[in-house]
Amino acid sequence: MTESRRLSMLFIGFLLAAAVIGAGPYLLDTYSVNVLTRSLLYAAVALTVDLLWGYLGILTFGQSVFFAAGAYAAGLVFTHMDFTPGNAALALGLGVGGALLTAAIVGWLAFWHGASALYASVITLVLPIVATQLLYTGGEFTGSSSGLSGFTSFDISMEGWFWLAGGFLVCVTTLAVLFVQSDAGRLLVAVRENEQRCKYLGLDTSRLKITVYLACAVIGAVAGYLYAGYAMVVAPELAGFVFGTELVIWTALGGRGTLLGPVIGTLIVDYESAQLSGDYPFVWQLIIGVVFVLVIVAFPRGLLPVVADVPRRLFRSFLKRPARPVASVRLSTLDPALTQGEAPGDGPALAVEGVARRFGSLTVLDGIDFAARAGELVSLVGPNGAGKTTLMRCIADGAERSSGRIVVNGHDIGRRPPEACVALGVGRKFQMANVFETLTVAQCLQIARVRHARPSLWRRAGELHLPESAMHVIATTGLDRQLGTPAHLLSHGMKQALELAMVLALEPRVLLLDEPTAGLTKTERMQIGAILIDLARRQGLCVLLVEHDLDFVREISSRVIVLHQGRIVLDGSVEEVVNSELVKQVYAGSGHAGIQHQAAGREEVTP
Amino acid sequence: MIAQGLDIVTTAAILYAVATGLLLVFGVMKIINFAHGGLMTLGGYAALVTTQMGLNPWLAIPAAALFGGVAGMAIERFAVRPLYGRPLDAILATWGLSIILGQLITIGFGRGVQFTRSPLEGTLDLLGESYSAWRLALVPIAVVLGLGLTALLQGTRLGLETRAVIMNEDLARGLGINSGLVRFLTFTLGSALAAVAGALITPLSSVDPNMGVPWLVNAFMLVLVSGASLFSLALSCLVLGGAQVLVSTYLSPVLGGLTIAVLAAVLLRIRPQGFARD
Amino acid sequence: MPRIAPFRRPLSRRGLLAAGALTAGLAVLGLPALAADAITIGIPVGLSGANSVVAPSVVQAAELAVEEINAKGGILGRPVKLEVADDASGAAGAQKAFDSLIFQKKVDVLISMETSAARNAGLPIVNRGKVPYIYTSFYEGRSCSPYMYVNAWVPDQQVAPIVDFFNGKGAKTYFLIGSDYAFGRGMLSFTKSYIEKTGGKVVGDEYAPMDATDWTAILSKVKAANPDAIITSTAGGAPNVTLTKQLRAAGIKALYGNLAVDEGTAKSMGGDAEGIYIAGSYFTNIDSPANKAFLAAMEKKFGADLKTPNDLSVPEYEAVYAYKAAVEKAGTTAADKVIPALAEVSVEGPRGTIIMNKQRHAPLTMYLGQVQADGSVKTISSFKNVDPGEQCPKLK
Repeated sequence: MTESRRLSMLFIGFLLAAAVIGAGPYLLDTYSVNVLTRSLLYAAVALTVDLLWGYLGILTFGQSVFFAAGAYAAGLVFTHMDFTPGNAALALGLGVGGALLTAAIVGWLAFWHGASALYASVITLVLPIVATQLLYTGGEFTGSSSGLSGFTSFDISMEGWFWLAGGFLVCVTTLAVLFVQSDAGRLLVAVRENEQRCKYLGLDTSRLKITVYLACAVIGAVAGYLYAGYAMVVAPELAGFVFGTELVIWTALGGRGTLLGPVIGTLIVDYESAQLSGDYPFVWQLIIGVVFVLVIVAFPRGLLPVVADVPRRLFRSFLKRPARPVASVRLSTLDPALTQGEAPGDGPALAVEGVARRFGSLTVLDGIDFAARAGELVSLVGPNGAGKTTLMRCIADGAERSSGRIVVNGHDIGRRPPEACVALGVGRKFQMANVFETLTVAQCLQIARVRHARPSLWRRAGELHLPESAMHVIATTGLDRQLGTPAHLLSHGMKQALELAMVLALEPRVLLLDEPTAGLTKTERMQIGAILIDLARRQGLCVLLVEHDLDFVREISSRVIVLHQGRIVLDGSVEEVVNSELVKQVYAGSGHAGIQHQAAGREEVTP
Repeated sequence: MIAQGLDIVTTAAILYAVATGLLLVFGVMKIINFAHGGLMTLGGYAALVTTQMGLNPWLAIPAAALFGGVAGMAIERFAVRPLYGRPLDAILATWGLSIILGQLITIGFGRGVQFTRSPLEGTLDLLGESYSAWRLALVPIAVVLGLGLTALLQGTRLGLETRAVIMNEDLARGLGINSGLVRFLTFTLGSALAAVAGALITPLSSVDPNMGVPWLVNAFMLVLVSGASLFSLALSCLVLGGAQVLVSTYLSPVLGGLTIAVLAAVLLRIRPQGFARD
Repeated sequence: MPRIAPFRRPLSRRGLLAAGALTAGLAVLGLPALAADAITIGIPVGLSGANSVVAPSVVQAAELAVEEINAKGGILGRPVKLEVADDASGAAGAQKAFDSLIFQKKVDVLISMETSAARNAGLPIVNRGKVPYIYTSFYEGRSCSPYMYVNAWVPDQQVAPIVDFFNGKGAKTYFLIGSDYAFGRGMLSFTKSYIEKTGGKVVGDEYAPMDATDWTAILSKVKAANPDAIITSTAGGAPNVTLTKQLRAAGIKALYGNLAVDEGTAKSMGGDAEGIYIAGSYFTNIDSPANKAFLAAMEKKFGADLKTPNDLSVPEYEAVYAYKAAVEKAGTTAADKVIPALAEVSVEGPRGTIIMNKQRHAPLTMYLGQVQADGSVKTISSFKNVDPGEQCPKLK
């Protein structure tokens, strides 16, 4: 689908939805208009749950709090001050401001570098509990358990509110669809799929999460503000954990990661519950619980995709449509003058000074000292558990080492997280190919370029500019003919090549490669070898390579460092190392060396 | 002062009893069992049935363990195991199951508040304070629980295998440990412990379909700050439970109710490993 | 969004009961059963959630009133029927219930026992739908709407009997314990000012979160303060009974007045409830012909399924009669005529004579009782026509 076709489809969808909302009050009875007005606003909040959970992978139980922030701002202002247009604007400002402040605090608590998804979820669970308690304890100011009621609000008819709520939902949904399909929106999926790779591509994933979280808080607050204006009542349960989890249930039932699913799910379940729960209150809850568990276990994508598949399957048997043509992206090479940056200075590209890494009482690296210049291709060799991968990690992530100093291009990396190390010029390729499995080759490369080319919030770029080195890898390996292929369909060798191209797209000065040839065929290995030599000699990169295959090392390295039991035992030319008795001993005696070292390194192996 | 000390120690004991089952499941399976509250409620109703049948109230504890264990087996088999690779979904599934559990209990026993007989009635005089006997009894019970679990983990082959799975599941599997079985047994044991905790708190509170819910979040936070160690759990129960008692006493019980959750969240932000050693 | 067809539901059990009552009533009169003629009373109530324990008794009371009225020819010759809707004891559920009753079922009046949150959420919808609304639950007071009347007690009526009695027993120092919610705060702040006005001293007032069931820290403070009397006003259900149990387990022996316990709960608590003082506008043992007839009729109608009538269900029963009287006085069900009439009519019910003529609230006879060892409540004294005080000065 071309970009203009995508946008016009979306616009048609927007017009259709707007027409349905416009016609609603003429087709529905008063009762349905009333119930649906609230459901429409709830659906807007469910949409934010989907953005966070379905796209970004943050399971959140606390979106109710932002809804309540908007609602309570209106309730409090209209109760304790008069209702005037000025105060109405003030209330909206307070609601959005309060939601933003809350989201910023929660974001700070939940989305820091290294926090697990589970931890973030539990924090969002604590949020509504704290918020409800604060509302209860507010006495007459917040109305405590009774909430606030009887305040004056906008003088708008019931139909007017329906249109307002529906219009808001349609706009927010359209914008959300536009966003998640855009280049910037794809980052959400990338973070969900493989946050570690994102960080090592220089993306500040914590900031991305907080930004999306803040935006979702604003949507929730506006929905809540409209709710209070319409319902003329606010109650603590709006902020509650039960409402928060209901939003998750609606999202799961409708279909996470579809945007439309949660919206439709909310409208149907909330509307039906108004009908059914009156007659069978407990059984209704039980049914919802059972369906919810079934969906989670058996249909994790939710019900919308299942329902949508039915006509698609029927159609397919009638007209055998060919698979959708994949979005075409044109590749182009960036002017080398732009990507080379400044000429490498006289100092070393990489200096490692007295680096040590300890896990409790276990010392994995100790007293590592070496420096490497631009254009050098240094191989790190040593038996399993010698600390090679750990050393790579220490160079790429400032938080890893226990002591010592690492300088990249003249900058001390300090305690910087991986994304900041990338900014200093470090590019790291993992041992096992570490790419975004569900994204296409072109999309993976695009994400690697985000650091240099700010992605559009609503468009998909038709062109992808890559530095010469990355283009070289792509052209040599034939990846350029598979730009539309999802990464998980690539062969092992192709994935390795793709990851290398992604790392090169970062325009690194120091390239860290962890066994880039493991599991490759002889031909692939030779290709990679040639590329590496070219990178070091022609592009002037400083390449640090962990490698087991000594023949390969001999062919390409300009220098070899031998690690054994966490220390450098030899640092010299290829010849020196190959002929060293010490190295032979080290390898001969490596059988039982440090299984624990390997265990410590394992999580790195399977990202 | 003495009353406060007793409040802190007994509160920590109750929290410890409530959180151990959750800790075990978290350690082995790396998921937070949201059905924990529902299983506690189940244990409460096991105690209620014991009372209604006129049995010795102490029998509530094994009865609860049985109820909880069986429910745990079913949950593990049908909801948790299929979601092995999707931990967040496993959390949601356990949450859905606790809704189901709650509604089934409501339909079966009604929404009302009911009561069980306490194994120990009245007060005991201790250090010049007359103090609730059952609260005091919970301290040795929690200690026995902790020591028993430690013995199980340190002294048996199953315990060894469990510890191996906690440390590194892939490696454990590689060494021929049936990690699926370990997970199944752990979840069963964790569920039984949750139900036992439910039975243990009934003499202090009442039995109703939501009785487990207020404990849930505090238990989650205690487990998160404890890592996977029974010892650091005891430590965090004492420190955070103590903070809760002090805040409740000197500031307000409302803030006291939020103390554990908020302190734990901030603590984890500043020191990600919490009370665990590295 | 497709047009969603209104869900057609099978006749529910309550529907059947109401229909049965209706046909029975019409059969007596020999009138043709025309449902379109019926006057519909909407009952939003917490069938699920916090109020679900007491809700069935409220529905039963309303069902009896409707059956009796239909047996005697209905209101203005028209049969009466009930529409019950679950408000889930909260705001969101109440919005759905009120919307459904007012705009879908098109009820003529709403008569409900609900949580304050549910009532507040329903009021804007009542204002839009312009139907009369009788609120039949005791509450923290001062909720006002041009469409609403209240026939149950407020703090101004409930607190005095207990405090006066404790003062008479020589209590000087009081400790107040509540759940942190509108009712708990409202009751205890009134109690505090009343105690201070009558010469007592409040040595402590503490609130726990609304769902809290652990009262340890507060009880330790109570023991340290060693008051003559304790007055509690917690959320119903678990918080209330856990407080009582833990208070007893802690060995606290002070006079104990509980503003939130009803007879049924007291009975289920067993020995722990013994000696608690409670106040209310209705106990089952009120010795009046009206109450005895009411209890007998309830017993006859519901038999083994009977939920014990209480201070929340009896006002519901009386409110149905108040509406009947108001419609008959107005000669129509039109809201603008019925609403002023509601302030003028009086109902002779199990609680005595009730007129909602004090700023939309009613003066009530209040009773002080003490829970006995067997769980029954012994009436100690009664206070005639206790005034609700200033509730809605802006409304007549």
